[in-house]
Amino acid sequence: MDTTSTDIIQKKRSLTPGWTQNFTIIFKSIAKKKGGLIGSIFIAIMLLCAIAAPWLAPFDPNEQNIVQRFAGPELTHLFGTDYLGRDTLSRIIYGCRIAVLVAFGAVSLSSIFGVFLGVVAGYNEGKKFDYFIIWLFDIVRSFPQIILALAIVAVLGPSLVNVVIALAFTAFPFYGRIARAQTLFVKETDYVKAAQAMGQKPIKIILKHITPNIMAPVIVCLGMDMATMVIWESGLSFLGLGVRPPTASWGIMLRNGYKYIQVSPWTIVWPALAIAFSMIAFSLFSDGLRVALDPKERNR
Amino acid sequence: MLKYSFKRVLWVFPTLIGVLLLLFSLTYFLPGDPASAILGPRATPELIEELNARLHLDRSMPVRLGYYLKGIALGDLGTSVWSGHSVSSLMAEALGHTAILAVTTLAVAAAIGIILGAFGAIRQDTPISGIVTIASLMGVALPDFVAALLLMLVFCVKIPILPAIGAGEGFWDIIVHLILPATALGIGWVGYLARLTHESMVDVLEADYIRTARAFAIPQKSIAYVYALKNAIIPTITVLGLGVGKLLGGAVFVEIIFSRPGLGKLIVDAVYARDFPVLQGGILVATILFVLANLVADISYGFVNPQIQYD
Repeated sequence: MDTTSTDIIQKKRSLTPGWTQNFTIIFKSIAKKKGGLIGSIFIAIMLLCAIAAPWLAPFDPNEQNIVQRFAGPELTHLFGTDYLGRDTLSRIIYGCRIAVLVAFGAVSLSSIFGVFLGVVAGYNEGKKFDYFIIWLFDIVRSFPQIILALAIVAVLGPSLVNVVIALAFTAFPFYGRIARAQTLFVKETDYVKAAQAMGQKPIKIILKHITPNIMAPVIVCLGMDMATMVIWESGLSFLGLGVRPPTASWGIMLRNGYKYIQVSPWTIVWPALAIAFSMIAFSLFSDGLRVALDPKERNR
Repeated sequence: MLKYSFKRVLWVFPTLIGVLLLLFSLTYFLPGDPASAILGPRATPELIEELNARLHLDRSMPVRLGYYLKGIALGDLGTSVWSGHSVSSLMAEALGHTAILAVTTLAVAAAIGIILGAFGAIRQDTPISGIVTIASLMGVALPDFVAALLLMLVFCVKIPILPAIGAGEGFWDIIVHLILPATALGIGWVGYLARLTHESMVDVLEADYIRTARAFAIPQKSIAYVYALKNAIIPTITVLGLGVGKLLGGAVFVEIIFSRPGLGKLIVDAVYARDFPVLQGGILVATILFVLANLVADISYGFVNPQIQYD
């Protein structure tokens, strides 16, 4: 009897679509729309630049060549050079690494932390713990986000890891609130009631039954937040409070360009374009993602 | 509705207490010894001790927290360790510049955005919807500090017609000094508000009461701009509350780039100088402004749209 019941369970499992299948369905529906497709291509280019930077970049990003400083676009240096004669194109390509690292790092950290707190709070609705978490969320949300990030980096000291921590800290309550609101709805469903009646442990119910079913709005938020994180990393680095020089970051490039704005316009234009392209990419992609995750809109 | 407003106002107090606790712990953990950083390498131990006593840095954590909260309650934010001025007077001076910038930006952006959005929704055949699309795309693509840098590059370096630094003195000078910073901050808002107004206007124009108004032969213009717009700008109002926070954040960059002596520049300069009373005070003022703006937006949202029920 044991074997037959596990057989049935096995069969059922293979019938429900797995992660890869879900992924393909969602990706196909993003790529169906023109905007989603363009966004996906841009993001793919960014990822490729981030991963394959050493092979794609024509020069070492930190190789100085004082004789050729402030060169305009030319054949050897397609995007020109900066105030130390470093190749701007190579630095833009290496800058993708920082952008991608910060975007993914900060967003995953803040969403995991925020969603967990939000789900636990929502599951314990009305209890003291719930109020405490809401209070915590509201405190962090009271600060203008970038100003809080600035203060945290000032305390921790400027570095890549600290920028990720600071940005993640400013963003987690937003995920927490979405997760909590969704949990209040999902925990009243029959399958959660059934799991409770079977005497499953709350932590198992939270992780296995609630969390997977509240993720759609969270994922949409992830896409939009990545763009914000890229902006803020550049912003903090621009103020000299982000990634440390000589690391190639778009924000640091803008900072140097600002210092030498009278001498060479190109040092500002290229990083500004890089930021603009990544912003458009993330916003088109997350727009596509929002439609793809909404079954009502997907089939339009 | 009144019950909701009351609860919403009451909730501000525990939140603000939490904000104070978080701010205190941030500066409590600020690395380095403030006294020796302020006095420089040649400070004598007596001088360091004296400054520590003046800033209560030699006391235990709860005592320092007590001093901090007492100071806030009395409206005293401390004195700048660099300039010796009181933080409150520094704030008052800086806040004026930031307030002018933020209010002008928001007002102009809202006016242009709402007009563009409404007009685009009413007359679908004009090129306005194209302008709206381009404006919102630019708002997405150009974060305020990037826009500020590009504007400075074009209008101060390449075609030097506008001032690059300072806030100006005298009415016209102040206006001229506002143009570039306000454009950098507001360009994204124009697109965003226009798109928002456009979408809700299209929805509202299909509502039954608009059809009824048409049946009563009320002039097309007054239907659009009085009957429809009144409801269509509701989503815009809530967004403006959040907008204050975004503007205060954006002002940090824009003020640094255009060297405007506002709140954002004060905060960043305090970070550079490790001037923690100013840092604490600046963040507190910005946060209180943001909290109040959100409060007003939340409550006014309920009043302008009575359909919304809170429990």
